[in-house]
Amino acid sequence: MAFRLHWAGSGVFLATEVRVQLHEWLAIVTGTLTPGALIVFVAILAPELLPVTLVGALVYSMFLIGQRVLNEAAYVRIDHKLNELYHASPLSPEGYFVGIAGGMLVAYLPPSLVLLGILQILHPLDAVAGLTLIVCLLAVWAVSSTIGYVVSTLFKDMKTIWPYSALLTNLFGVVPPVFYRLGSVPVEWRSAVLLLPTSAAAVLVDSAAGLEPLTRTEATTAAVALAAEALVLFAFGIYWARRTARER
Amino acid sequence: MTDEPLQAEDVRKVYRGRIGPHVEALRGVSLSIRRGERLSLLGRNGAGKTTFLRIASTLLLPTSGRIHVFGFDVVDEPERVRPLIAVVPQEGKPFFHLTPREQVYCYLRARGIAREIARARTEEALEKMGLLEVADRLSVTLSGGQKQRAMVATVMATEAPLMFLDEPTIGLDPFARRAVWDVLRELTRKGSTVLLTTHYLDEAEALSERLYIVEEGRILFEGTAADAKRQIGGTLRVSIENGGPVRDLFRSFGQTVEEGTALSVITGPERIHEIMDIALRNRLSATVGPVTLEEAFLTIVGRSIDEE
Repeated sequence: MAFRLHWAGSGVFLATEVRVQLHEWLAIVTGTLTPGALIVFVAILAPELLPVTLVGALVYSMFLIGQRVLNEAAYVRIDHKLNELYHASPLSPEGYFVGIAGGMLVAYLPPSLVLLGILQILHPLDAVAGLTLIVCLLAVWAVSSTIGYVVSTLFKDMKTIWPYSALLTNLFGVVPPVFYRLGSVPVEWRSAVLLLPTSAAAVLVDSAAGLEPLTRTEATTAAVALAAEALVLFAFGIYWARRTARER
Repeated sequence: MTDEPLQAEDVRKVYRGRIGPHVEALRGVSLSIRRGERLSLLGRNGAGKTTFLRIASTLLLPTSGRIHVFGFDVVDEPERVRPLIAVVPQEGKPFFHLTPREQVYCYLRARGIAREIARARTEEALEKMGLLEVADRLSVTLSGGQKQRAMVATVMATEAPLMFLDEPTIGLDPFARRAVWDVLRELTRKGSTVLLTTHYLDEAEALSERLYIVEEGRILFEGTAADAKRQIGGTLRVSIENGGPVRDLFRSFGQTVEEGTALSVITGPERIHEIMDIALRNRLSATVGPVTLEEAFLTIVGRSIDEE
């Protein structure tokens, strides 16, 4: 079978997912609670760190979309069997994957836009920093959506999935320097954290926005790692979606 | 592309357990469906019906064997098969946070059906499934039967050339079941072909032109409901209250089945008088009725279990 990608119907499926999420608007709002709480704490305790925290909140929110992809894809498959309805149809498996991932991105974008608005007020981004932010956030979305989708296919029970969902978010979103500066990480750990997509994205945006300087080596390491992870993982996500559309 | 909706040859499926034993779900199933036909797969739980349906609908790989849908191989050419089919999955549910109207319309649009046609078909399907009154309520607020009808409406509205329905009327009340039957009949009149699994034998009899009885991954019977009934040696069933203890009196008339203290005798019309005479002489109450598909099913599957 030739490996040709088919996207017909994926836009409609994406819109369907957006519609589903909008009917659950409270989940969209509550999704901002963790970064929102952190922003409030930082605003009270260390207001000078607020722009870094806002960048972190944007990256975290984008990574959180992967968790939503995980939960939605698993729920639709395990609880509703709707994956079968769509897989036995002209909508391609890659269209299904991108539809869920894109649907979550669009539906959960409004809170990120609010965060971006606050950042623009406190620390206006120039064109280069703005572009860096957009590219980095899209890369984080590609990585997190793929991780979420792939993990969703590995389990047969929703309850088993919940801990993994929380684990991934904390592992990628809270532990590495997403909400705090790279400078706070011990030197011997810095190369490692630059390889993580979330911290790589955060430090690249911080650097482009003039919030924290990066050495050329650090910037190159973070940029190459993030780009490679986004491209390779997203391609793997498409491969995995095709592979798992049919059980073995 | 050929005109033959489905042709299966020697399909086998072994589920290889990582920890537990391997399970041989299909052991060489061959069957074919003609265009515009409604065909039922009957069998006990775990007989292999759903496995077959999932392989035929490109959702599961077989271990060996071939299935062609309109001439396309489901293993090698799934992307050619999928536009031609639609599936109601077993225990499938609509998106809870969509209304039935949104559910049907969005699915049709995702299949590439033009807006106007999708709109018209959505309304038609909702009407036929009796969902117009709740068409704009979120599915999460609907009853189990209404959710199931929304799933059936979603698939029926596709008017796909070949539809697979895995227990489509489970949980539906008798009126809703008949509404589904009517729509399926209409779809086949329009040229679609329907393969369904069901545990309701009256449904299989009322709806399908042919049926296959599957047991332990093998096909035990192929034919019409009338053929199945003929397999058990008679067209009439005499039910004799408290006839169990005197079963020997009736053995020569045909197959006898004890159910508690009652006895059923499967026989032909020519022997009814003799049986009734014996029953009267022994002061036993007896009634006569036609043999049901359920009895035929139990006999055919039971015979197979006894042989094992």
